[in-house]
Amino acid sequence: MGMRSQSVGGSGPSSVPWIAFGLVWALTLGAGFAVLWSYKLRPGEAALPPSLWPPDSRIPRRHDRATLVLFAHPKCPCTRASVAELARLMSRFDDRLSAEVVFLRPAGVGAEWDHTELWERASAIPGVTAVRDDAGVEAARFRAVTSGLAVLYDAEGRLLFSGGITAARGHEGDSFGTRRISALLRTGETDRADAPVFGCSLGHDPETPAQGTEEETR
Amino acid sequence: MTREQSADAATQAIVRRAEERFRANWMDVLSATDRFFAKLMVGQWLFAILIALVLSPYAWEGKVKTVHVHVWVAVFLGAAINALPIALAIKRAGWVMTRHVVAAAQMLWSALLIHLTGGRIETHFHVFGSLGILAFYRDWTVLATATVVIATDHIVRGLFWPESVYGIANPEWWRFLEHAFWVLFAVTFLAMSCLRALREMRLMAERGAHIEALSEGEWRRSSVLDREKVSA
Repeated sequence: MGMRSQSVGGSGPSSVPWIAFGLVWALTLGAGFAVLWSYKLRPGEAALPPSLWPPDSRIPRRHDRATLVLFAHPKCPCTRASVAELARLMSRFDDRLSAEVVFLRPAGVGAEWDHTELWERASAIPGVTAVRDDAGVEAARFRAVTSGLAVLYDAEGRLLFSGGITAARGHEGDSFGTRRISALLRTGETDRADAPVFGCSLGHDPETPAQGTEEETR
Repeated sequence: MTREQSADAATQAIVRRAEERFRANWMDVLSATDRFFAKLMVGQWLFAILIALVLSPYAWEGKVKTVHVHVWVAVFLGAAINALPIALAIKRAGWVMTRHVVAAAQMLWSALLIHLTGGRIETHFHVFGSLGILAFYRDWTVLATATVVIATDHIVRGLFWPESVYGIANPEWWRFLEHAFWVLFAVTFLAMSCLRALREMRLMAERGAHIEALSEGEWRRSSVLDREKVSA
């Protein structure tokens, strides 16, 4: 017997309605997947973080190595992929990079509001510290508006990179952001210093001036 | 009718009967596999909804939450994927188009589950698991349809969103060949297994037809003997 198909089940009456159904089905699925891709590839609002580390920031910065700050909404499911990518970055560059994950805690929410699985995941990454950002004060200082924004500053506090570290919304895998950060940490150079950010909105106006106090970031 | 003509007629009858038995048996396999996939599709749909509800129930904007797109996608796109293959499995089980639609739908389930799990590498194994289950049909052309659907997905996404397919932002031009190789590797051996299973089914059908012919001959001979005894 050669590589030919058998014809069992190959005949039957009233196939035309099924073929019409099949065409409608294919078009519906094409449209459905297009909507899904469009959603996943739509970046959040871009940030314009300060070119120098904000002097009033309470986020700890290392002076002997680069510091990466990842702004995160503690309940954003898309940011799970950003944290996974951060873990991969840290495993490759733990000798030359320190990282802080800054979790938004909007005003007026309960004490446990930001104590989520994402917080636990971020805290468990070696070399990473999770910090709370009450009322989004630090996010405002760094002009972060989208969860998943990563800003990279060198040991002198100069901005090297600002952008997302996932290829799409909530999608793990290599991305322009991780490649550019890796290139910067390896060679000090990259083709671009930004990348699109994918994640939930942090829900505040980036133009709102930060009003920091001792308690705002713990 | 001479003895030779009679023998030829008997042989042709056995060949026809063997073909009937083979087709009936394979149709049973095809119909059962269609019904199995209908149940699997419902299971995958429920699983997708569960994944969406557990992993990404809400999208957030500060303190404000809205139902995440993944939940709607799991419910409605999942239902849309299932609509045609389940309808065909119920109304036209065993039809050649049913199994090809099932193959396409199963590959689309792989794509949707990969999306819903955030592109986890582990979810990509669903593609290879699905190819193995599609081999239950014992029809290698079904595997070809599944391969074409995967290839189309790869080509389209590779053009517009290469990171989601290859895991890197700027894949080498030959990277698609590496992916294609592993799919073809699995499909080649599964297709060989399908062809072997069909050969065995055909052999069984021929043996069954021979046994039927022998039994029928014995029954006729014993009937003649019985009649002779009665008349004696």
